Amino acid sequence: MASTKGQPLQFELDDDDLKLFCEEADEQIELLDTSLVQLEGEPDPELVQQIFRAAHTLKGSSATIGHKKMASLTHAMETVLDAVRQGRRTPTSEVVDALLAGLDALRVLTEEVVTRVDSGIETGRLEADLNAVLEEPEQLNSLSVAPSNAATYPVPPDALAAVRTELDNGAAAYVVELTIARECQLPSIRCFQSLQELDALGKLHLTWPARDLIEAGSGEFELAGLLTTMQSEEQITAALQAVTDIESVGARAIPADELGAEIAATAKAAPAAATAGRPQLSVVDDHGPADTGPKASAAAKNKTAQSVRIDVERLDGLMNLVGELVIDRTRLQQVREQLAAILKDANLSELMDNFEETTSHLARVTDELQEQIMRSRMLPVRSVLTRLPRLVRDVAVKCGKKVELYTAGEETELDRSVIEEISDPLVHILRNAVDHGIETPEERKAAGKPETGVVTVTAWNQETYIYISVKDDGKGIDTAALRKKVVEKGLMSREAAESATDDQVIQWIFMPGLSTAKSITDVSGRGVGMDIVRTNIERLNGQITLRSTFGQGSEVIIQLPLTLATTKALMVMANGTVYAIPLVSVTEALADHEADIHSVNGRKTLRLRQRLLPMIDLANALGDSRPRRLVDGNFVVAAKHGDRQAAFIVDRLLGEQDIVVKSLGDLVGNRKGLTGATILGDGTLGLIVDTASLVTEQAALATPA
Amino acid sequence: MTVPGTSRRTTLVAKTETPELAGQTQTEEHVVIFRLADEFYALDIQTVQEIVRMQAITSIPGSDFWVEGITNLRGRVVPVIDLRKRCGVDARDYTAETRIVVVSSANGMVGLIVDAVSEVMRIPGEQVEPPSAIVSVPENTYLRGVAKLDERLVSLVDLEGVLPAGDEFQYAAQAA
Repeated sequence: MASTKGQPLQFELDDDDLKLFCEEADEQIELLDTSLVQLEGEPDPELVQQIFRAAHTLKGSSATIGHKKMASLTHAMETVLDAVRQGRRTPTSEVVDALLAGLDALRVLTEEVVTRVDSGIETGRLEADLNAVLEEPEQLNSLSVAPSNAATYPVPPDALAAVRTELDNGAAAYVVELTIARECQLPSIRCFQSLQELDALGKLHLTWPARDLIEAGSGEFELAGLLTTMQSEEQITAALQAVTDIESVGARAIPADELGAEIAATAKAAPAAATAGRPQLSVVDDHGPADTGPKASAAAKNKTAQSVRIDVERLDGLMNLVGELVIDRTRLQQVREQLAAILKDANLSELMDNFEETTSHLARVTDELQEQIMRSRMLPVRSVLTRLPRLVRDVAVKCGKKVELYTAGEETELDRSVIEEISDPLVHILRNAVDHGIETPEERKAAGKPETGVVTVTAWNQETYIYISVKDDGKGIDTAALRKKVVEKGLMSREAAESATDDQVIQWIFMPGLSTAKSITDVSGRGVGMDIVRTNIERLNGQITLRSTFGQGSEVIIQLPLTLATTKALMVMANGTVYAIPLVSVTEALADHEADIHSVNGRKTLRLRQRLLPMIDLANALGDSRPRRLVDGNFVVAAKHGDRQAAFIVDRLLGEQDIVVKSLGDLVGNRKGLTGATILGDGTLGLIVDTASLVTEQAALATPA
Repeated sequence: MTVPGTSRRTTLVAKTETPELAGQTQTEEHVVIFRLADEFYALDIQTVQEIVRMQAITSIPGSDFWVEGITNLRGRVVPVIDLRKRCGVDARDYTAETRIVVVSSANGMVGLIVDAVSEVMRIPGEQVEPPSAIVSVPENTYLRGVAKLDERLVSLVDLEGVLPAGDEFQYAAQAA
């Protein structure tokens, strides 16, 4: 067959629908990604049902937009899942493999909808695989799944006659079924609105429940009707989906020969077993007549009843405004202090009291507002952790290892901007843990460990940081091998390598150009990994640490701020300019006269906790060429970047502050040593110091290679 | 380097050659006049966002000498250029008349420090002449025209010509 790759594709959807389709498809694919892995072995009926629904929803939405390949593939997946759901097929690893392969193809097919270009992906073989899985010897494994409900709708003879007349006139008959969201406050109004939509579409002959009941406001959540119309099935479902709170819509064409005193129900909502507060997804029973055609499933669905989707940009906008407000609060407080100083002799105490009361109230409200908006941007870290089981499974299979993954702390919340940034580094660390950390089953046996290795990912909050730990019980870091490697690669002299402590050696993992794996695999190990991971984490104002015991395993801990919108910083003054040094990198701040300063090789050096830190004047390090303003008494701020440290001489310490990071603007661009500016309490600007680059530079200067 | 103002100048000349067209008012230049070293300059009013008094400016260490620094314009970080330094005129202390003219350029908002802002006015198109007629510098990218008004000459500033291109700015700043 000739490849269709690169050819343009057409889908029946506009930009708004596209967004909706993508959101929905991503959500369902994500769900499948997490749950398919759990399917293997002992399927929990509820889980199977959930997976089936997800596949079904995907099938429905792809059919609605006219994506035939995707609809056909999801149909094949759905058929397999249906067999599993009914206990006709045990989800063995072949079944799961076939489904996972299908899922990977679905991602590509979903992308086609955005790009509108044929990716050339061949789904025929995948579908064949899925069908083959079905045909394997069936097993009778009684799963408790609700039997298909053979509900019927009664049709009185006079209505039947009227329908037949319409059919003779060229109209088609449809059974239309609607489900209204459980959390809907006014189901009767929605029913009534739906009736009006149906009336507008064609002739509505019958409804179940009866029309007068609906119009009297009986408040039903389910509604069905017999409609004759010239409109297509898609037009019917589209019109009804436009009604608020409609959760699912199904329309099925009724051929003339099926018309009788009773019509079989087609679409029906899942049994009311779904837990309260979690609206049901539409489940269309697949055992209807073969000519059912594509059934549109409702796009309206949400995870929790009380949630609203908000554009992140809007939240960002709000967050920025609150940032401004926080600054104004600080300014007002400063004005109050100045006023108080001026007015303390005058008899204006009552006025001052009033002013103080107002400013402190404003301060409290601003703080709360900031907190609330920050909270609204928080998402549980679950969305990242759920991708991991699949990853671990894939990597383990590729490396021929047995690995079990445990996750904990999925509820830990962090800012969505942080979540977006944390995923890649985490994936990398996890791959490393499985690929380099965990041994092969044989090696593990020989070492007296269980064959299956364990990787644990844990997330937790502490103060204003979130921590994520990835721990494995693998072989740990072989410090002797690492020492050898570093010397071989010419990254360090033999003497330096041998004199380093084991703790120091372990940190070399973050050194650029180093990989300890014996061979480069396609999973990990090109020697750029951990270096880049650390750079990425530090860009987020985070820190990464590694602990390892040879033979027993390793643990990587990532520390991140809860939000990127504000950062805690130590404010300092250097040569007349205010600088903000991110607190996460500050290890110590002390007065000049308390510091233990030495001269090493003609350089000022600070001795701090058995370490020698190169010292540099902050303003000089940043290239401030203005004449030096003299101040009495300097201070020293020690900062770290990974295992490197340096000390900066500043004029004064101004205390800690929550700062809002602002870009220096396009015209100024990126500057060495600076990451941006921030508005200070008095309305002027301070500069934010890029400690990572400065510390690296100074440490490199201090220890020439 | 091309002079962005060229095309407009051509239109102006074309318009003045056909004065019988009723749209004469369209050839007017609506400008903000400012003073720099006792000379008058005009900026297209469309590019001027606002005019503020001198306010605190935070200098950026290591930046080029004509970059005064950055300032806080109601929550926005705006880079500020000292136009005297940029144009090679001797620096002078700021006075009560000194203003920052905030303009929007291809590289975002920029503040220009000028000696004073005198007025907003309309200059009829026929009074504008190409700069080469008066200024002898052939490669002048700062000006796009000169207007003769009563007793004085007003130079029409070519904003993008005065401002460094984004990369030049960064290069200059980093090299310093």
